Amino acid sequence: MNCVSKKYVSLMNKVLDQEATEQEKQVLFEHLATCAECRVHFNELKESTELLRRLTHPQLPAAFTESVLNQLPPDKRNAIHKWGSRHPVLTTVAICALPMSLVVIGSRRQTRNRNGYALVKVSGDQT
Amino acid sequence: MDQSEKRLIKKIRKGDQQAFAELVERYKNSVFAICLRMVGNAQEAEDLSQEAFIRAYNRIDQYDHDRKFSTWLFRIATNLSIDFLRRRKNNVSLDAVVPGTEGLSLNTMLPDEGEQPEDQMVRKETEEMVQEQIKRLPDKYRSAIVLKYIEDLSLKEISEIMEIPVGTVKTRIHRGREMLRKNMITEGGGRA
Repeated sequence: MNCVSKKYVSLMNKVLDQEATEQEKQVLFEHLATCAECRVHFNELKESTELLRRLTHPQLPAAFTESVLNQLPPDKRNAIHKWGSRHPVLTTVAICALPMSLVVIGSRRQTRNRNGYALVKVSGDQT
Repeated sequence: MDQSEKRLIKKIRKGDQQAFAELVERYKNSVFAICLRMVGNAQEAEDLSQEAFIRAYNRIDQYDHDRKFSTWLFRIATNLSIDFLRRRKNNVSLDAVVPGTEGLSLNTMLPDEGEQPEDQMVRKETEEMVQEQIKRLPDKYRSAIVLKYIEDLSLKEISEIMEIPVGTVKTRIHRGREMLRKNMITEGGGRA
């Protein structure tokens, strides 16, 4: 390996990394034309990476994605959402009951604050 | 990163697992290819790929959305594979019963249609030889070489995945390539 010097090896690497300038390529290829040892070295480098590139890209089965999903932590937000779509009536009642109860409580408080007499009257009506 | 991917990630952050399923579909084979060539065993590679996606989901808040999602995901997959290799190395007896290409032969290596049986045989042998050579590379060269030649990524992307400077990536690829060359001519003989 007297000829495969650092200079040419680094040029080979540049060419293989596709980072060589036209001039650098020319220097290398002119040298390869005259030096068998470097030519063999360069071809071997090229061939080894070519073999890697040609390796099969295997496909995972479709069940893979499902299996991943099954292993994810359960999502609470999602659980509430699912419950809601399964029980639409209950969900509507629950959603409506909250503001309605606030309105009722609020109006009673207001009445109480403004006027003691009205409070007696309102609560009397309601009970 | 494309807009649809940004939208998917927003949904995933809110806990939308269906959105995550779309990302899994998009990247599962690339992640599998990285793990497979890193560890050399299909079953282990599939397990590692699953682990990589689960980890990505659980840590989605750590993902910086100004960067490519694949870069972040491939980093997780590469690191898991390296951890796996280290654990295996510490357990020599286990390593001895896990041949490099076991599990690669059946459904994961579907032959091209119309390929002759002899060609299939030759291809299988070559693949086994190449996989064996990858396995002989030190971890840090192996990941650079796999990302470059299996995933066909740019040096810049590899440097972001491995979190090392581009110059270091180059050095690792050059050394890895040189090791492959040497080993292939001594071991692979005329086949390479």
